[in-house]
Amino acid sequence: MKTMINVEHLTKQYKEVLAVDDLSFQVDEGEIVGLLGPNGSGKSTTINCMLSLLNFDRGTIKLFNKEMKPDAYDLKAKIGVIFQEVAVFEELTVYENIDYFCGLYIKDKSIRKQAVEEAIQLVGLEDYKKFYPKKLSGGLLRRLNIACGIAHRPTLIFLDEPTVAVDPQSRNHILDGIKQLRKNGATIVYTTHYMEEVEQLCDRVIILDKGKIIAMGTTDELKANTQIAEKVILEIHELDLEAIQKIKDLKNVADVRYNAPNLVVTYKTGKNNLVEMIDYLKTSPLHYTTIYSQRPTLNDVFLELTGKELRD
Amino acid sequence: MIVFKTYWKILKKNLPLVILYTVLLIGFAASNIKTNEKNLNFVANKPDVLLINDDEGGEITDHLIGYLKEHTELSLSTVPEEDQINDALFYRDINYVIYIPKNYSHDFLERNAPEIKVKSTGDYQASLAEMILSRYLNLATIYQKTAPDPLEFMRALDQTLAQTVEIQMTSPLDVNQLTKATSYYNFASYSILACLIFIVSLILNHFNQQNVRKRRLISQMSDKKHNRFLLLANSLYALTIWFVYVALSFLLVGDIMFSPHGVIYIINALMLTLCATSIAFFIGTLVKNPNAISGIVNVIALGSSFLCGAFVPMEWLPESVLTIAHAIPTFYYIKTNEMLKTLESFHLDALKPFLMNQLILLGFTVLFMIFTQIVSKRDKKNWIIHLIIGTFQ
Amino acid sequence: MIKMHHFNYALKMLLKDKMLIFWTFAFPIILGTFFNLAFSNIENSEKLKVIPIALVQDEELKTNPIFKTAFDALSMPDSEHQLFQTHYTTEKKAKELLAEGEIIGYLQLKNQTPSLTFNTNGINETIFQFVTEEITQKSHVIHQLIEKEMSKQQTLDINPEQIYEDVLALVNEEQVMLTDISSEHLSYTQIEFYTLIAMTCLYGGTLSMIAVNRILANMSAQGKRTAISPTKKQTLLLSHLLACYLVQLLGLALLFLYTRFVLNVDYGNHIGFILLLALIGSFCGLSLGMAVGVLFKTTENVKIGILISVTMLGCFLSGMMGITMKYLVDTRLPLLNQLNPASMITDGFYSLYYYETFERYWANIFHLLLVSIVLIGVSIFCLRRQKYDCI
Repeated sequence: MKTMINVEHLTKQYKEVLAVDDLSFQVDEGEIVGLLGPNGSGKSTTINCMLSLLNFDRGTIKLFNKEMKPDAYDLKAKIGVIFQEVAVFEELTVYENIDYFCGLYIKDKSIRKQAVEEAIQLVGLEDYKKFYPKKLSGGLLRRLNIACGIAHRPTLIFLDEPTVAVDPQSRNHILDGIKQLRKNGATIVYTTHYMEEVEQLCDRVIILDKGKIIAMGTTDELKANTQIAEKVILEIHELDLEAIQKIKDLKNVADVRYNAPNLVVTYKTGKNNLVEMIDYLKTSPLHYTTIYSQRPTLNDVFLELTGKELRD
Repeated sequence: MIVFKTYWKILKKNLPLVILYTVLLIGFAASNIKTNEKNLNFVANKPDVLLINDDEGGEITDHLIGYLKEHTELSLSTVPEEDQINDALFYRDINYVIYIPKNYSHDFLERNAPEIKVKSTGDYQASLAEMILSRYLNLATIYQKTAPDPLEFMRALDQTLAQTVEIQMTSPLDVNQLTKATSYYNFASYSILACLIFIVSLILNHFNQQNVRKRRLISQMSDKKHNRFLLLANSLYALTIWFVYVALSFLLVGDIMFSPHGVIYIINALMLTLCATSIAFFIGTLVKNPNAISGIVNVIALGSSFLCGAFVPMEWLPESVLTIAHAIPTFYYIKTNEMLKTLESFHLDALKPFLMNQLILLGFTVLFMIFTQIVSKRDKKNWIIHLIIGTFQ
Repeated sequence: MIKMHHFNYALKMLLKDKMLIFWTFAFPIILGTFFNLAFSNIENSEKLKVIPIALVQDEELKTNPIFKTAFDALSMPDSEHQLFQTHYTTEKKAKELLAEGEIIGYLQLKNQTPSLTFNTNGINETIFQFVTEEITQKSHVIHQLIEKEMSKQQTLDINPEQIYEDVLALVNEEQVMLTDISSEHLSYTQIEFYTLIAMTCLYGGTLSMIAVNRILANMSAQGKRTAISPTKKQTLLLSHLLACYLVQLLGLALLFLYTRFVLNVDYGNHIGFILLLALIGSFCGLSLGMAVGVLFKTTENVKIGILISVTMLGCFLSGMMGITMKYLVDTRLPLLNQLNPASMITDGFYSLYYYETFERYWANIFHLLLVSIVLIGVSIFCLRRQKYDCI
């Protein structure tokens, strides 16, 4: 299997802030890798450095096993990028926008025409070809943004938060599109702070915080490495400190958090934690409305690693 | 408070343009400062004349120069820099050029009636310069024919030229300063219109934009209260502009601003400021695209300034233009400024036309306020219809 | 190399932008119309007009017929030399007329001395004063000469009438030999229209500024897309700038045709030189916009603000709001106007209109090119940067 991206010791400093701190990772051909992290963790900076848009202070970046430079036009031809902000021209229609950007890659008119049509189909904008961006809703605009980035059939695609503030219908369209791109053989780096998307889509996850990699691996690997084995969540409307302390003292309990009315009890290990909890509740005077058990999510992984939530 | 904060934010972003219009005003006023002394006696108008002397030391030439110095603003040169002369003539820095040929005095005394070449701008200053020159030459020729001795005839010439007339002035006005004040305030109409319409309509446009408006309509602040805040903020801004320009006039025009004339200039400017604010409200409500505003502002401000005589004095505009200008508020503002130049007494009869102009300005202000109301009502209705349709979709 | 694909789209984008179209095509024409309305009469107004005056008709005036004769001669309606429109009235009525502004002043003889009454200072008053003085002086000369002739001829066959006739003939003989050698092209309002052309050339910079913004990664998101594509940004920029230049020239051509054939502006007769100046002037605007686009890292609106301010200030200094300004700068701070593209364009047209020779024209062209090359050079230097410290 070929290595598509090889980043070693990447470091980038903006005046005061260390945006990316000694980052090293690899991405193999055909993978979808998620770059996960809260706002300001250095995801976009890392991507911009990989694309040679930004100067960086230290490290090497190789794409397709060649050093990435601003004039590495042969590499650029194979890369597609969808940026966070919508980058289309107000003065051009949907079709013209895609054709304009595709024209930066494909000179041949007939090949380009086909490529543009394909891209329109992929994002599902067939009915909007003659629309101007002003007339499109936020979700449709995002889809146009994606089509502009991938119309030239790149083999390495960077997606920088393509689903921020997108309605569910468009989001599903986008995620389906990405799966389709992978099926066509593309390698994808996907940046987001929605862990559900990562879990649904990515083969491997790199978690960033304050410019550092704090965890890397498949979702299952990451979850396996956590201290948390299981979570039990209850809805309780009244709870005093004494009662919380009593629950903390139960067997295998790692942590208890009460954010009225939700009580979250995390367990280090053990089986039948839910049953034991129900048993305990039977003996106590506490009144709960619902109770359920949950496997740990990436958010828990992140929470455990950094002490804060992904979405702030 | 949020209204004021947003106001300040938008204003700050567009401050450079406000400053630009103000700098233009100051530049205009500064380039207009020529004569500054207070003058209540009659001063003859002196055309700017350049004399190129190729007959240095000639007695007739010297005598002519002495005479011209008395009646014109004369500059002398021996080397003709034709390009500079031509530029100066074109830009009316000088009105008249006199070329004295070689041996002029000698030839003159020999009765050769030498030819003098002149260049002229053809305006009235140049006509006056030509009259002054011709008078001298005519008299000199007469005396030269009757009294061939140069010393004798020059003495006789001096004697004749010393015959002057007595002049009485009826008006106690300081015309110089009043002219300056009028041209300052005339130009200020451009700056006032541009600054006010630009900022105020930009701000109204911002607050009227669909999403901002929606947020406001669902907020606790009532429409009325919000509008009152906006009106207050805009008035504050308008009065600041007015105050700054009035303060500048005290610096740039001089002490005439402390006289009753000055008071009328200031009141007149205030009336225009109010009218401009009202126009700005109308445009801000009517125009939905914020990008279009700068274009509209320029067309309105420049248009009314050119048509009503803010840049070019009113008396020089063609009749047809002035007829159109009657439909523009600025016309009445500038007319007031122009009339101030010759206003002598402040009794009620003399002030009537001034009051009339102020009333017309006020009328325009009210008219545009009514227009604004009509447009705003229409928009609101449409907006509610949109909202209703939206909820049922 | 210019790709038709890029060029076509660049053109399409420019022509779709309503604001740009307004500023490039409509605004100069509107402004030109205003200029025309305001200035069409100004130069005629500055020519001498018939001045309304009054002479107080009393016994004294009757005893001094020379004044009435002279003013009658100067008040002949429709005569080439008509200078005054003269009322003969009583002193009271003359005062009234003066107060109402019907006349600018009146003449009254007091003990054989003429006395003038005016309201204000002004050119008309000065001319009235001047003419009165001239009449007084002429009558003085006549008296003097007659006396002299009388004293000369001590003989008996003295003929006072003959002497009087002779003296009058001498005095009234037109002897002055003045030859006017001024240029015919003295209409300074043309300058206003030249500044208008200059303004349009420089406003064209807005187009190239927006084009630069569209292509540079550190200016817009669209630019980022360009930067990561295998198309060289120089190639793309060239196509876009060419489209800008074309649109700019189109706007200029429209303005030119409108001012020349509808407003009758006089550009002189050297069409080739005019075209060259227009081409280079627009080029200077293009390079100005490019430099503003590259050098300032701020929003498009602020950049437009900068361009408009620079343009308006440049036009102000080259005489758009009053031609005196241009002359003032030309003579006091010549360097400022040699750096000011608006002034160089204006001056180029001025030299074609007013001058017989072309040295001044070429000097302007040379300076314009110099400024353009410096601006483009600075832009290219900054454009060569491929990576940014901050986006």
